[in-house]
Amino acid sequence: MIDFISTLASHAPEWLTRLWPALGQTLLLTSCSFLLALGLAAPLEFGRACRWSPVPQLVTIYIDVVRSIPILAILYLIYFGLPGIGISFSAFVSGVIGLGVVYSTYVAEVLRAGVQSLHKGQKEASLAVGMTPFSTFRWIILPQAVRVVVPPLLLTLISLLKDTSICALITVNELMLTSKLIMSEFFLPLHIFVLVGMIYFAIAWPMSLFVRWLEPQLNRGRRTGSTPIQQVLH
Amino acid sequence: MIPIDHILEFARPLAEAAAITIFVSVGAFGLALALGLSLAVLRDFHPVAIIRWLVQVYVEIFRNIPSLTHLFLLFFGLAYVGVRLSSIAASILGLGLIGAASLSEVFRASFESIHHGQRESSLAVGLTPSQAFRTIILPQAWRVALPPIGNYAVQLIKDTSLVAAIAAPEIMFTARNLVVNTFETTLVYTLAALLYLAICLPLSRVIRHLEVKSATPR
Repeated sequence: MIDFISTLASHAPEWLTRLWPALGQTLLLTSCSFLLALGLAAPLEFGRACRWSPVPQLVTIYIDVVRSIPILAILYLIYFGLPGIGISFSAFVSGVIGLGVVYSTYVAEVLRAGVQSLHKGQKEASLAVGMTPFSTFRWIILPQAVRVVVPPLLLTLISLLKDTSICALITVNELMLTSKLIMSEFFLPLHIFVLVGMIYFAIAWPMSLFVRWLEPQLNRGRRTGSTPIQQVLH
Repeated sequence: MIPIDHILEFARPLAEAAAITIFVSVGAFGLALALGLSLAVLRDFHPVAIIRWLVQVYVEIFRNIPSLTHLFLLFFGLAYVGVRLSSIAASILGLGLIGAASLSEVFRASFESIHHGQRESSLAVGLTPSQAFRTIILPQAWRVALPPIGNYAVQLIKDTSLVAAIAAPEIMFTARNLVVNTFETTLVYTLAALLYLAICLPLSRVIRHLEVKSATPR
């Protein structure tokens, strides 16, 4: 144990100089794909609420299909498969697209739960007192929906952060790939992966704690119909 | 246009790989289910505070670090200290340990969803705490936990694709090898994705059906 810690401590400074830029890549990958997921989720949600009959069904099929395929398979298809039909992206862009597409289906689900949690009387009452549809959305629907949507969105962001590690397999220079390269140079797998695990933990755990703290804050003074089990699943 | 002969050539190795995927999934699922339930019971009912705390530490560690890191630690890290696991054993163990952390949270939420009056009245009529748990709480909590367990099963099958990174010969790893040998990149990866689709889509449909049934009032 002592031996382990001293070896880790002696190598850590050298490794960390290589891991910091990799962490930057991981965080950049996380933020870009989260933004893409948000951007794609909104049209998915509108599509599902659409009145023309084939559109909602098509959106549902699309979501089911995307959710049935592992992220790794989607990343391989984008990075290795698409060049076969003449479309090629860099590893980083493939990672952003793949994660963004997969996570948009999860974000869409969260958004839907947020909008559905509001009684439609809220909207009708605001319209009845003479508010425009826009100000109804801005002042009545949005503030209430945000409370429902933000905690699960943050949880989605945490899983997204963890899943960026999969992009190591399509050669994005993020934490996991960099640590694997360091492993094959130094032959100290236990040390490097414990270190990189600690880096992920140092980011993800405070976020999880924050969500756990935030949820009761947002729900204060508000009757919620959701049971703990629904919060775990969202 | 569709290269039938190639598809036939790839069908056999991919089918064998799918069998490995299923095998790893079933193994990890069993481990996750058993360990997850035990962890949830320990976390909620164990009288010694430090045990409850240790379980919580376990859950936090496994939920806040990527699966790939855990798999690398188990496969490369343990080999370094002399415990050499086969890639399939490491896959089942790794995915099972990770799944146990998620399922323990599912079980705990399902225990919480049972009204505390259930437990109190069972104790009042003279059941021991463990009898109350086994015969009153668990059967009801189980129904609540079933849909999330189903979702976890689908997620797990998809997550087995990660064990390709530690050279377990499942679908993604086999696909990669086929690509290296034949250069049919687009075709092979499309087939691999379709294979997952063929496994996961029907499964999630069945689970959604069960979910609707279990949502009917008890």
